[in-house]
Amino acid sequence: MKKILNILIVLMIMASLASLALADEETGEYPDEENEPEELGEGNLDDETEEEIEIMNNSLGAEIRLLQLEKAIMKNILIGEKAVEALKTMEFSISNLEDILTEMLLLIEEVQNANTSSNDSVQIYVDLKMDARNLTKKFQVTIEELLDDEKIKELRERVRELAGDELETYSKKIRNKIRQFNRNQLYRLYGIIGETDILLIDEYVSGNFSLDQVKLQICKIINQMTKEKRYQIFSEIKEDNIRKNIQAKEFGENIHSDGKGKPQ
Amino acid sequence: MNKKTMSIFLLFIMLFSVILIYIYFNLSTTEEKQYNGSNETISDEDILNEIDQIFLDEDSEIEIGEMV
Repeated sequence: MKKILNILIVLMIMASLASLALADEETGEYPDEENEPEELGEGNLDDETEEEIEIMNNSLGAEIRLLQLEKAIMKNILIGEKAVEALKTMEFSISNLEDILTEMLLLIEEVQNANTSSNDSVQIYVDLKMDARNLTKKFQVTIEELLDDEKIKELRERVRELAGDELETYSKKIRNKIRQFNRNQLYRLYGIIGETDILLIDEYVSGNFSLDQVKLQICKIINQMTKEKRYQIFSEIKEDNIRKNIQAKEFGENIHSDGKGKPQ
Repeated sequence: MNKKTMSIFLLFIMLFSVILIYIYFNLSTTEEKQYNGSNETISDEDILNEIDQIFLDEDSEIEIGEMV
């Protein structure tokens, strides 16, 4: 009897160890969310970028992403210029920082010259975003080499008061393009539903209706339909969304395998 | 006889625990809802979630990191 009990105890210990190992594997699959976003390098497409390229299968989507990237780089250049000005008054050597800012200005030109209708627009976007991230990181590291934590904190406070006016032009342009994109999506969605509310589309494009109001209105229309029709519309929308996700994932995998890729 | 019954009972408890652990770790990862036919109920939230994915948020931004 003692033998049986011993075997049972051993088995229980083994089962506990197995469950611990399984739990460890599960948690190991997810990256720590508090960490900084992963470094984007060749053969490494992060979730955020994968989501961003989902809309780049048409030129309007590509235009939006490149314009958003241009705005992000411009914002960092403006912050960088403010930081350099502040460091000048503190009598620090700023030549390295100025070189990085010049490179970022050249990068802006590249973004502006990118052909949004080209088949390579996604690849171009991914490459330019990677360059922008790397230059930003380089600037950050250079500042960290020059100043101690206390002074960096002080500098961060000073550059935070960034004039929003300079970026407002970008914001307006991006918002208009996103509204055009959403208008096209609305037409596609109405195509699935089988009826079109042109007034609602016009009101949204002119800014009288918010996107949330439009979404609620569409939900209302779908809810008034029969159960079968609701299911059919839901399936078609879901299928469309899944197709978009797969396309972006395929592109991401192409980047993993050879550092290049082309959207279908 | 009592000891034998006890050991069988313990064995059952152990097997049950292993099965529970297996179910927990294998089924908890399948978060995506499955819709197998038009008899399934689709909630307003499900529809809104799918519609959300069609449109672009007007205030969305690209993240390239902080300079300072």
